[in-house]
Amino acid sequence: MDILPQVIVSGLAAGGVYGLIALGFVLIYKATSIINLATGQFMTVGAFVCLTFLTYLAAPFWVALAATLVFAFFLGVVIERVMLRPLIGEPIISVIMVTIGLGSILNGLTHMIFSPEYRSFPEIFPPDPLDLGFAIVPSGLLWGFIFAIVCMIVFLLIFKYSRTGVAMRATASDQQAALSMGISVRKIFALSWSFAAITAAVGGVVIGNISGISIYMGGIGLKVLAVIILGGLDSIIGAIIGGFIIGVLENLSGVFLDPVFGGGTKEVIPFFILVIIIMIRPYGMFGKEEIERV
Amino acid sequence: MRCGDYKESYLKDEEIFQTVFVKFWLALFFIFLLILPFFANTYILYVANLVGFAVIAAVGLNLLTGFTGQISLGHAAFAGVGGYTLAILMTKAEFSFWLALPCAGLVAAAAGLIIGIPSLRVKGLYLCIATLAAQFIFEFIFIHWESMTQGVRGINVPSPQVGSFLFNTEARFYYLTLGFVVLTVAYVRNLVRTKTGRAFIAIRDRDLAAEIMGINLFKYKLTSFAISSFFAGIAGALWVSFMRIVTPEHFPFHLSIQYLAMVIVGGLGTVLGSIFGAIFMTLVPEILNVTTSAMSDVIPQLEHLFIPLKEVVFGCLIVGFLIFEPHGLAEIWRRIKAFFILWPFSY
Amino acid sequence: MMKAKCAAKGLLCFALLFSLILTFTATAVAEEEIKIGAVQPITGRFAFAGVQINAGLEDALMMANEEGGINGKKIKYIMEDGAYQVDTAVAAFKRIMARDNPIIMYGESTGLGKAMAPEIKDRYHILYSSTSFSSELADAAKNPYMYVAGPTYSDMFGILLKYIAKEKPQAKVAFFYSDTEFGRDPVEYGKETCKKLGLELVAEEVSKVGSVDVTSQVLDMKRKGVEYCIFQGFVLSPVPAVMKQAKDYGLKCKFMGTFWTTNKMLLDKLGPMADNYMGVMPYSFYYEENVPMIKKIIEWNKKHHPDVTYRPTSYMQGFVNGLLYVEALKRADKEGALTGDGLVKAMNSIKDVDFGGIMAPVTITDNKIPMGRVFKGNSKTLQFEAVSDWIRLD
Repeated sequence: MDILPQVIVSGLAAGGVYGLIALGFVLIYKATSIINLATGQFMTVGAFVCLTFLTYLAAPFWVALAATLVFAFFLGVVIERVMLRPLIGEPIISVIMVTIGLGSILNGLTHMIFSPEYRSFPEIFPPDPLDLGFAIVPSGLLWGFIFAIVCMIVFLLIFKYSRTGVAMRATASDQQAALSMGISVRKIFALSWSFAAITAAVGGVVIGNISGISIYMGGIGLKVLAVIILGGLDSIIGAIIGGFIIGVLENLSGVFLDPVFGGGTKEVIPFFILVIIIMIRPYGMFGKEEIERV
Repeated sequence: MRCGDYKESYLKDEEIFQTVFVKFWLALFFIFLLILPFFANTYILYVANLVGFAVIAAVGLNLLTGFTGQISLGHAAFAGVGGYTLAILMTKAEFSFWLALPCAGLVAAAAGLIIGIPSLRVKGLYLCIATLAAQFIFEFIFIHWESMTQGVRGINVPSPQVGSFLFNTEARFYYLTLGFVVLTVAYVRNLVRTKTGRAFIAIRDRDLAAEIMGINLFKYKLTSFAISSFFAGIAGALWVSFMRIVTPEHFPFHLSIQYLAMVIVGGLGTVLGSIFGAIFMTLVPEILNVTTSAMSDVIPQLEHLFIPLKEVVFGCLIVGFLIFEPHGLAEIWRRIKAFFILWPFSY
Repeated sequence: MMKAKCAAKGLLCFALLFSLILTFTATAVAEEEIKIGAVQPITGRFAFAGVQINAGLEDALMMANEEGGINGKKIKYIMEDGAYQVDTAVAAFKRIMARDNPIIMYGESTGLGKAMAPEIKDRYHILYSSTSFSSELADAAKNPYMYVAGPTYSDMFGILLKYIAKEKPQAKVAFFYSDTEFGRDPVEYGKETCKKLGLELVAEEVSKVGSVDVTSQVLDMKRKGVEYCIFQGFVLSPVPAVMKQAKDYGLKCKFMGTFWTTNKMLLDKLGPMADNYMGVMPYSFYYEENVPMIKKIIEWNKKHHPDVTYRPTSYMQGFVNGLLYVEALKRADKEGALTGDGLVKAMNSIKDVDFGGIMAPVTITDNKIPMGRVFKGNSKTLQFEAVSDWIRLD
């Protein structure tokens, strides 16, 4: 069992990446109660945009990243305005389907604008792994982990201390009351989509760095649903910690369950966990207890 | 309002085909469907068969999502269960098609019962996500339960037969499909008129109130899951039988999305809506394909732009319908009918 | 708003009607035209390859047209998108068959091939080959009309394992494959061949395409002391991630891959690790400029696609298929048998034919061409270099 520490450490690092994407889901849900199933496509767009800035404009990485974040910000605003605004008040299934449709549109557009070849980022992060003595963290995962923690702290601070953050929490809690206090709910919605787009773009850059960029890299978005259910749909901390847990459990199942089932368990374990969590404790570890039961 | 259309009893009000006019046109349409194979080529019959399978699955899904209000993102998994059951029974247990098909439906219904259990704990979004998980778990099972499903290799399935008559061409299978579509639509349309159907609608509208009125939520929610999965299983089994092969890659998440799109675009909560939706969502990609190939003959440079445009159009259709026409195609149809009923005085 | 809505609806109805009419009309038929249809994965998971395969196949056929066609008859190439999904691909296949009735079809995936195999045999009787090198589709007895323009994945594993056995007898081998038909195809054969060659298959790792974290698989390989790892079922991802994490965790192992994994994109991504990757390739590379056929390809691309700087292995796959079609058509036409059965006879008569050096002289055995060379990556030039001569398995 000497590989156990390594497995757990790598799981935590991978989980950091999942947590980053989960944050994209949570940020939207927190303010608008919508699950955005197109988060994976947001990631892809973010990765492609960053790559464009890096290659065509030969910008240094941090500049390209900042530019990508600005782009993501505006993308979020536009999408919210065009697609989600008309759907305020519609049943939730419509909204979910709209996000699915949005995912299709983004997929097709990225295909049309960027041809379907695989790309890779030029070297952005130093490639050496981090040696912890009892375990090694590969560089791609390490930086994903770092970004995840940074994003989590940034958003936690925003939500707790800034006026915007408090306004978002107020909107999530009770739209009518928020409106009557003078909070522009429309701006809050747009802002939450922008935040989500930004986080997803960062996630896209991280994953693009690890496994290359292609128009289909967004598939990971669905697996991350297990993370947010585990952590609680509206909890930022839950997203990150849920990510860690799922990352570790995935790796553990890869070590112990793959030989039993002939491989492939790593992909399906998050979904098993998801079902179990929904049965036992649907609001996850840190979510608010608002689920109606039969 | 139609002129001269009086109802003198509740029974008459509940009739599905309410005027002679409707009955006449429906009969005509049915005759058209029956003689279609005589003047359509194999490709069109192929698409017609696909539309038939989609209608069966969509009508089933509408029962669950449109009438009972339980969202399911895993419908393709039940089609897969039905398809695999048929394949396994016909190859390993040497069942005939006519026995294997209802078994496929029943096994799919059982799977539906299992997946329906979370619906007793959670609603709405959470149920949606649970069904999504079911989709992926079933895909995993299809690939890895190799002793039964032969994994990724898939199973080759013989065609259905009656005596020595094989249903192995598009035209012959078309009649089979048509028969099942008629049976399914008739059953579901009538189900909605009965006590069970009304219980479903009550659960959708206000389940707390329904419970207070004495409707056993447990029983009816599970029934809804079971029945809708039964039809998904039948659709899957028919499709597998038509293609004569089943592999795990036949029932991806994308298919679940398509079924859901059919139901929503067609109109939640109406059987006619799911028929329209199934036809529309099956034909649109085909029409897009044809248009893109035709246009790329004219402007070859843009060929590579047109083909990914399909996905964009698919997404735009879904989004467009949801924003501009939330009640779907059924609503558009209703408006057209209303327009013509009063024509030329339709103001 | 109402007017705009009405206009939009009217336009939509018109467009729908127009396309319906298009569906029912056949494309115009010119006299003396030979039709070849193709379902290519232009969208979908393998789009990056599909676009190139399509270009290669089309170029080979158009080149033949420019050189006089098939004894004067011109080839018409009809392509539709299969999106790498079975139902879309089957629909496209049937649409082309119903509308254009070609005598040759090229398909996009193993899935499509398996789905259409019974009908190709019983009803359509056309020559068929595809992007797939699956052993299931190269079976002269079961599917006489279906061909693989190269070695099957099993053959490729055979070539690689033979190479390993020669370099290090009794080496410890691992198979790393994706959880799909594509990935699992040669595994059984690989297991048997390992036993036959005295190699020890110590690990089988499965992963999804595009995995973020392959730690458990890499660690498993390290634990079992794997010396050679063969990839199957991937094109790019997660191969670089696996190789990098292997390096990070101190797993000293040589990596190898079959046709689709052995491409320049991979070397570009591997950078300095490229020296550690070997692959089997049945066709020549675009930069092997002293090969006569490659010279021809370069000239053609300069003339017709001036923006192109490189054509990858997927292009070569399409191109070689095109070359085979042209050769079979010429032979069948000479016999006056431009039908599926005539083409099958023609294909089976191809022995020791030199296609300008793009492969060693080609003989079709059991509906496939079981030959290839082993290449090693060079991290300085980021190209593949041959480390073996043409190996045949017949």
